[in-house]
Amino acid sequence: MTGGWAAKELTELGLRTLVLDAGRPIVPNKDYREHTPPWAMPFRGLGDRQTVARRQAVQRNSVTFDEMSHQFWVDDVDNPYSTPANKAFHWFRARQVGGKSIIWGRQVYRWSDLDFGANLRDGIGVDWPIRYADIAPWYDLVERFIGVSGQTEGLAHLPDGPFLPPMAMNCVESHVRDRMASKFGRDRVLTMGRVAVLTERHNGRAACHYCGPCHRGCVTRSYFSSVNATLPAAEATGRLTLMPDSIARHLVYDDQTNRVSGVLVLDARTRETREYTARVVFLCASALESARILLNSATSRHPDGLANSSGQVGRNVMDHIKWGGASGTFDGWSDRQPIGQRPNGIYIPRFRNVTTRHPDFIRGYGFQGGAGRAGWEAKARAPGIGLAFKEGLTRPGPWTMSFGGFGEMLPRPENRATVHPTLVDAWGIPALHITCGWSDNELAIHRDMNVTAAELLEAAGAKHIRPDARGPSTPGNTNHEMGTARMGRDPKTSVLNGWNQSWDVPNVFVTDGACMASSGNQNPSLTYMALTARACHYAVDALKRGDL
Amino acid sequence: MERRELIRFLMATAGLKCLDGFMPDELFAFGVHVREARQSSGVLDAHSRRTVAIAAERIIPASDTPGATDADVVAFIDRMLADWYNPDERDRFLAGLRELDQRCRAGYRKDFADCAERDQVAVLTAFDDDVSRRRHTGGANPNEHWFAMLKYTTVFGYCTSEVAMRRTLGSWPRPTRYDGCAPVGARQG
Repeated sequence: MTGGWAAKELTELGLRTLVLDAGRPIVPNKDYREHTPPWAMPFRGLGDRQTVARRQAVQRNSVTFDEMSHQFWVDDVDNPYSTPANKAFHWFRARQVGGKSIIWGRQVYRWSDLDFGANLRDGIGVDWPIRYADIAPWYDLVERFIGVSGQTEGLAHLPDGPFLPPMAMNCVESHVRDRMASKFGRDRVLTMGRVAVLTERHNGRAACHYCGPCHRGCVTRSYFSSVNATLPAAEATGRLTLMPDSIARHLVYDDQTNRVSGVLVLDARTRETREYTARVVFLCASALESARILLNSATSRHPDGLANSSGQVGRNVMDHIKWGGASGTFDGWSDRQPIGQRPNGIYIPRFRNVTTRHPDFIRGYGFQGGAGRAGWEAKARAPGIGLAFKEGLTRPGPWTMSFGGFGEMLPRPENRATVHPTLVDAWGIPALHITCGWSDNELAIHRDMNVTAAELLEAAGAKHIRPDARGPSTPGNTNHEMGTARMGRDPKTSVLNGWNQSWDVPNVFVTDGACMASSGNQNPSLTYMALTARACHYAVDALKRGDL
Repeated sequence: MERRELIRFLMATAGLKCLDGFMPDELFAFGVHVREARQSSGVLDAHSRRTVAIAAERIIPASDTPGATDADVVAFIDRMLADWYNPDERDRFLAGLRELDQRCRAGYRKDFADCAERDQVAVLTAFDDDVSRRRHTGGANPNEHWFAMLKYTTVFGYCTSEVAMRRTLGSWPRPTRYDGCAPVGARQG
């Protein structure tokens, strides 16, 4: 995600740029599987259960892991990590060129100063060194390039962008939006999801044709990924060198200059090592991997890892808490059904702790969700056999609407990743030990999700309302892990300054999720991309000034 | 250059600007890697295959649309038993097939596969009722009952088959547009 953006910006600004990716290259015509019909899959979509249980026991817990997409997720046996026995953490990784941009959920929402100012307001963690005004032009730049479809709403705490036309709501979603509007006004707004999927042709990429499973690939390049958009843009400058199967073993630090001189790379296939030199290094390996690289770059002068005089590298791990919400059914519209597989749902922006304080928790959550009619999958266990049973399979079921929350997590130093003393991965590189658990604040947010989702459905006239009974999600399961090399105003308490630049080693920049000082509740990739573009422009200016 | 090759070339070189005008089947030819069904050795012997094939057809019979036999559901079930289910699940399923024959011999003095269709339906319905009872009384996991496994794999194998998706469900080829409020039964394309 962010590596592709760094490649695009740095090459377009004139720098010869080497992109090192730990995994294999993606060849769209060969690797993309979104059009494979179920009968052409060995297990019809159920997945190779036995092999997955052996090799991808953690990765299989992600909602976008399936029979066709599993190839875009790591082998857990080759890439182990540990956690305390009572603190499960799902660490999802996507080791191929393009990384998580191949399998991400494509939802994109801007932050506002409600988010950037939160730590200062609440006295939690460290103050962000930037505010919305600093990042707004970069949100504009990113959204204009990647193409975001969405509905402008004029909400101060969910800023609008230069949107392509929004995707359409279905009958029940429109109804629920209107009923919510009449009961809650602008306090609780249901809008169409803001999504990095094209609704019209954009920058040479085709509009979406609603085939559904984006996470399996996209030969029409309709959803944004590094492979679909930013890496080709970097390639077009003639200044990009892309090296797949190149694992960054550690950064090479030069004592004399207090700069990183380059990267020691381990070839993923041959295990040979090579060193590459550079004037600037951008770490975009994903939050925990970037922290791991810094920690594994320890030397006798920096025994706690590189760029870690603050002691915050690896600390303040955050994810979003999920599995709170509700579903309900709607009578009516029995003669209507959706056609096409829309790769997007509806969105209800945060309404807690926006204008009034909630007694039980600080910060908030947003809802994603949508409506649809149950298909044969829901009737597979219905009673009966024979013609009547068969006919039941072909009739659409009742309309159902569901909401699922994404809740903010507070930064806490005891939620941290450290280098395991003995465990190594298949390439001999020290693995991580990850300790991360929810606090009372997240659990209170989770409980409130169930309550308000039911309120919204009730207001819309839903029946058989059922709150989500799963309990809080496993930390990491949302795939939004971040915070492990946070930005701040003080080198004693943060790893990076307001330009994503290491306080300690000026030519190291970290622009993936590691840089986040707080988590917000919004899907974070848009903010990562905007911060990356901004940091690249700063880095190039600093290079020209001779500061790096 | 043949039309499909031209389309592939245009896509690979990002020269393709617009997908209007492509038939859904052409569009879905991209990124399809149809594999030959892996000929796993399977676990069902000839008698069991016949039993499962007939039971599947009783569960989803041919009518004015294809049935389980047309969809070759038994091949899917055999592959699931060989490569997907755990050994204890497989054993439970196979024991269930033996129990099916025992009940038929007790009631009709013939194995299931040799019984009259009406009797086959009666016996399978009785097992289906066993599963339903489990669901309502909250006893042992109803989905682990051998008949629930047979019925689920029949439904799954049928509804993901080419004949059923194209002819019964009308869910393939997928439409290439989104309409959130279309009339039921509208043309999907």
